Order: sequence, then C-alpha cells, then structure tokens
Amino acid sequence: VPDELLLGLKFIFGPCAVPALDLVDQRSVTRVMSPSGRTLYQVLGSSGKLYTCYSSCHFCTCPAFGFSVLQKSESLLCKHILAVYLSQAMGACQELSVSEEQLTGILLAEEEDEG
Amino acid sequence: LCRGGLAERLCRLQNRERSAISFWRHQCISDANIPSDKSGVLIVKILEIFEECTIQVAICQQLEQSTAMCSPEDAVINSEEPILKVLFTRETAAHLKSRPQDVIHIYPPWQKLLLRNTDVPVIMNTYFSQKVLLSEHSEAREKTYGLAKMLIRKNIISLAQTFRLDDLDDELHQESSDNQVACAPQIRNNCDSKQHPLALSAVNDSLLEMVESQGAVGWREAQVRVVIQRVYCLPARQGYRSHIQGNNPLCATPIVNTDPPNVRLCLLVQDAYGMFSEVQLQSLSSTDDTEQYGRRWEGKFCYLAGMKILQRTTRGRALGLFSLIDSLWPPVVPVKVPGQSQDSEMMTTNLPPPSFCYILTIQSGEVHVEVDEEEQISDLYQPPAVHGLKEILRNGGCNERCSFWAQVLYLRLQTKHSVPINQREILLFVTDSTLQNAVHMTPKAVAVSVTASCVLSTEITEALSAASQLLFFKDALWGNGRIICVERTVLLLQKPLLCSAAGADLSELTGPVRLDELDSTTQANSICALRGTVVGVNESTAFSWPICNRCGNGKLELCPQDRELLYCKQCSEVVITPVLKMQLEVFLSCPSRSQSTIKVKVCNEISSFVLYVDTTECPGLFVLLTMLLFLQTYEVQSVLGKEVGLLNCYVHSVTSHPNCVVLEEIVLL
Repeated sequence: VPDELLLGLKFIFGPCAVPALDLVDQRSVTRVMSPSGRTLYQVLGSSGKLYTCYSSCHFCTCPAFGFSVLQKSESLLCKHILAVYLSQAMGACQELSVSEEQLTGILLAEEEDEG
Repeated sequence: LCRGGLAERLCRLQNRERSAISFWRHQCISDANIPSDKSGVLIVKILEIFEECTIQVAICQQLEQSTAMCSPEDAVINSEEPILKVLFTRETAAHLKSRPQDVIHIYPPWQKLLLRNTDVPVIMNTYFSQKVLLSEHSEAREKTYGLAKMLIRKNIISLAQTFRLDDLDDELHQESSDNQVACAPQIRNNCDSKQHPLALSAVNDSLLEMVESQGAVGWREAQVRVVIQRVYCLPARQGYRSHIQGNNPLCATPIVNTDPPNVRLCLLVQDAYGMFSEVQLQSLSSTDDTEQYGRRWEGKFCYLAGMKILQRTTRGRALGLFSLIDSLWPPVVPVKVPGQSQDSEMMTTNLPPPSFCYILTIQSGEVHVEVDEEEQISDLYQPPAVHGLKEILRNGGCNERCSFWAQVLYLRLQTKHSVPINQREILLFVTDSTLQNAVHMTPKAVAVSVTASCVLSTEITEALSAASQLLFFKDALWGNGRIICVERTVLLLQKPLLCSAAGADLSELTGPVRLDELDSTTQANSICALRGTVVGVNESTAFSWPICNRCGNGKLELCPQDRELLYCKQCSEVVITPVLKMQLEVFLSCPSRSQSTIKVKVCNEISSFVLYVDTTECPGLFVLLTMLLFLQTYEVQSVLGKEVGLLNCYVHSVTSHPNCVVLEEIVLL
C-alpha cells in the first residue's frame, strides 16, 4: 500500500483514518453471512464492544455514528464503517456463516440493547 | 497500535506531513519566497464553492501557466479548460478564505483521484495551497464577502431512495423506515423528523442551552455531547451508616472496612462552549470500580440524556468543585462562543473562569449516559498536571488542585477507632525524589491529610495498611501550607493513562529515605529523625504488653476457657505466640535542639516464642520472665548516657512553656 494512498485516506476521512486502519491491522472486521445471502458486518471495537455495520447502506451502531454522522454531519462515516470498507478492499475480513435465525437475532439484539 | 501495521505507518506519515504543513503555512504568512519552481503546481480558478461534511469542495477550472500570469479577471472562462473538483480541509479553507473567482496555486504533493462513472477528477491532499492576491481588489472583496456564510449543500440520499420505498404510501413508508433502520433511542427522534421537526435541533453540544430551554422539569429526548474531564466518587449526602463489625462493636476498627461505602460515581464534564457540569451517577456498591471507570472514561466523549438539574451552584458555595474547575481553566483548545456562527476565528480560549456550574443527576427510570469509549481522547481533555512535591510546596497558590506521585512513609489515624469509618481522617507522611534530593529550605517529608470526604477504594486502604506504597494523588488540594485530600481527590495505585509530567520520572526514590532532623523549626504532627544522648528514663511509664502476632491487636484478653492463655478477639483465636511490646519514655539531649527537653517514647518488640512455657504449675512465671527480659533490655543504669542513633519519630507536641518536645518512635513503612 503506497504512502500516498494512506495520506489520501487521512485527507478525506480525517480522524477516522488511523483508528480504522488500526481495526484493519487487528482484523477486527467480520462479515457475517446467512444462507439466504443476507450479510452484515461486525466490528470488534477497542473497548471490546461489538458494533454492527450494515452492508446495504451506511450505518453503524456506535454512538459516534449517530452523533457525528447522522446528527451533526461532521463526518462522512465512523471508523467502523471505514474499517469495513478497507477490510473489504484488502480482503482482510474474517468470515462467519450463521443461520437465518442467528442473523435476525443479531439485528434485533441491537434494537433491544438500545431500547 | 499494531507494530508495523498500516495505522502506525499512517501515524508516522501524518506527523511528517503536519510538520511540512505548518512550515508551509508559516512561509505563506511571512511572505517568504515560495520556491519559484513551478513544476507540479496546479493552478485553478474557483468557480463555485460549497461545504460538505467539513470538507470544502471547490469546483474549479484548471488554468494554464501563461494565463495565470495576467490579472485573474481577464482570464476568460474557456470551456475547453478542464473542470476539476478540488477538495480542501477545514483548516486549509480557513487559511485560504477563498471565494469564487479566486485563483489558487496548489503546490505538490497533491493527489488526483479519478472516480468511476464521473468525468470530473477530484484533487485532494491540497494542504499546500496559496491564493494569488491582487492587492487593489482584495479590499473590496473582503467587504462583500465578509459576512457571507459558506453554502452548505448536503447531498444526502434518503433511505427511502436507497430502499426504493418511494412508491409505498406515506404511513407505510414511515413505519418501514423505522423498522429498517434499527435506531438507538437517541436517534429515534430523527427518524420521525417529518412529524417532529424540532427533534433534530434538540441535540446539541451546549449544556447551557439544554438547561435553559428545558427548565428544571428535566428532559428526555434531547442529548448533549460533552467531554469527561474527571471521574471521581463523592460520599452520599444522606448521612453515613454506623459501623459495627462482626460481633464486637467495641473492637478497635482496622482501616479496612467490609461494609459497602455509600458513595456516588460522579463525572465532571465540559461542553464545546467550555462550560462545566458535575453529573452524579449511580451509587456504587464498591469503590474499586472508580479507577476502572476513570481509566476508561476520562477524556472521552459522553452523550447525556434524561438528566435532572439538582442544583445550580456558584463559586462561593462550592469552593471544592470550583478549585477543580479552575485547575482545568483555561481550556486547552479554543471553545465556541455562544450565539455566533462557528467560524474558526470565533473560537477562543480567552474567557473568564466559570462562576457557576450545574449539578445534574439521573432522572429516575431513564438512565442515559453513554460514554463513547471507542472514540479517541478529545482535544478538550486536560489530564492532571503532575509536579514534584518540591515544586508544589514552593508554589504560592491557595486552594489549588495539584497532582503528584509520592511514597507513603508513615500513616496515622487522626480519629479515634470508635469513629465510623466514613468519618475517619488519616494523616499520611509522604515524600518523593524531589524532596529527598533537595539541598535546603525544603522539608524531606510532607504531611498529607486525607479527610473523610475523600473516598478511598478498598484496594487503596488495604494497600496502605500493608506496606509502603507509591501512590498517585490526583487533584489534591494545596493551601495554607498543607496538602489535603478532600472531595474529588482520587488516590490511585497506578498512573492514569494520560498525564502531563513535568520533567523526568519523579517516582523513583534512589537510596534510603531520609527525614529532616529535629531542630528548632520542627512542628507538631510531623515526622523527623533525631539523635542524642539518654539523660533520663521515666520509669513510671515503662510498660510491656503482649500483642497478637497475627493482627497486631494490643488488647488481648484472657481466654475464657483457659485463663492461662491469651485470646485475640479480632482474630477470634487463641494467641499462642504473642509478641511482646515494650515501651519506655526516655529523655534525650539532642544537639540539634539543645534548648528543649526531648521526651521520646521508644518502643521495642520481641517475638515471644521463648515465652511459651507451661505456666499451669507456675502461674507467675510468665510475668516474671517478662520483667526480667524487660529489665535486661532497659536496665536504667546501663541506659543512661547511651547514644541513641538516628531514630525516626512522630512529633506529638511541641510546647514552649515548658520548652518540651514529645515524640514517639515510629517505624517507617
């Protein structure tokens, strides 16, 4: 990976760049797939918490996303989403196959947690 | 960060880049000669500018070298000239202050990005940009555009479009978007933005706005984003729990207390406008988590919702709280000014220190304090500034917060054992390398008073009882020549993650600890070392008694079952091998303070395994043996005139009439 690309990441994504790369270095991104083809991404954050990022649109369950991206429009994305994209590009995603029920469970669990 | 990983690489590259950028900016400001080597320089004329997510996007036309030499106004927009989309970061944009029709020179290294399916290339990494100014027109331009706000255009694709829900009717659409976007409650309101347009503006980063707009009733949906500056425990206000340990209420209470303390976890937070607030969270069952929370939370962003205003307090009424706030003032990064549009020029650090502070607490039922532990430490965070004790003592401040590392030499409970643990006051004698290595005019050890309002974790109290500890005192109070640990002071065994240390590592003590020698300046309630000659013995105070070899309890009793054996109520066991403690008061003549009568209570201990004799036949043998041993060690005649070496002592009292100093020999931890 050339230096210019890294600096380019920093330019566009600002403070998210280094933490996202760190997440990629640590292989924290897992692509979760179900038999029907539904996918989502789970990112293991630095505090040990697992955040879920959607594959069909920009979304992450971390509070920074809700605040900086959705409400304040200060950032384009959070470091977890960036880590997902980078991991996809570099083929550094871990893979996990789960059943339909389990995938649904992950998505619904997020709702319960916050509720 | 992973060694050799991409993140580490980028960090290094970033640091280099940052130095290059500041050098460049400096050059621009000082009008130094930019190298005339124009190769690689991109010359653009701005046609249109807008901002998106903190990046400034400028639609520009690339100019040829030759045309740039003439006046920019003369350059006719040639439709054949390539159009570029140039991106500038917020800092660069503030530096350039560009307007449409400006000509910008972009020096390398910049990057060009060609996206798929678009014709317009994107130029990024434009840190090294400079505007070409024409002096006669710049003034007019400044006036015209002085008050213009940057156009903000948000190219947001609605989720309805993404999920192709446009053809469903409104109600269903609303419901579906709610279901499809698994919102956390803090952003659930935004999903209903069509019906509640105010909900979007309810979230902000100003504590004052929140408080003033909602009143004392409390608020639910609205959220404030703040930075956690400090985490600490405060004793609960609803009184203390009387302490009764085990089945013996009269027993001497050790410092370690097994009852859960009545404390609340509190945060001192600061918003983007620099305003502080103390947030009182839940009651803790154990104080051991405080250090954990501190490590994980200090410096991070936190989203508060559902808070209730407990009090609006002012400087005069809450000196302790404001001394902590003052230690965090002025803010280390510019803060926003209320009521202004947030140009970076409007942010300031030049504000008077706060005069009031809101104390917030959790509304019963709704607990909504979310700390974003993932995020990096905020720039606004001010870690405690660590200084050496010598520097702190020299500082002429009053009621200022200070943080330091110190080795605990000696500990003394200032209150009687019968006082409940929550009201005990402890006197710690501490030192550090700055005091030990100081040449003169500085005491070798200093007393730190820990009041009952300073919450100590059980870990700390256990550690203090055990051995000499190196402790980190965070936000202790210094004033009137004393250091005290009060409310909001935190004692830690380990260094907090982020600490600005002044100078070298202050924690290492090289060599044995030395105390100041007793002299005319010695005061009561201090510790010192002394040497002298024994000139008298106070025989009436000669005393010896057995103490428990396990816990040191000096109040042993005769065993109820067998009155020949000793029993320790604290251990609830028979003491088979008591330790014999002997105490004697001697009068010394000390050359360092020759005018005063020096009375020292010396102590000595011997393990008494030799005393374990079957005393059933000779009941008085134990006592006799004790007396013999005692006399052997302290036979008066042999003691007079004896030189007493450097004894470490605690000064009980210093009186001038009569001129007497009463001390007690101590053992340093």
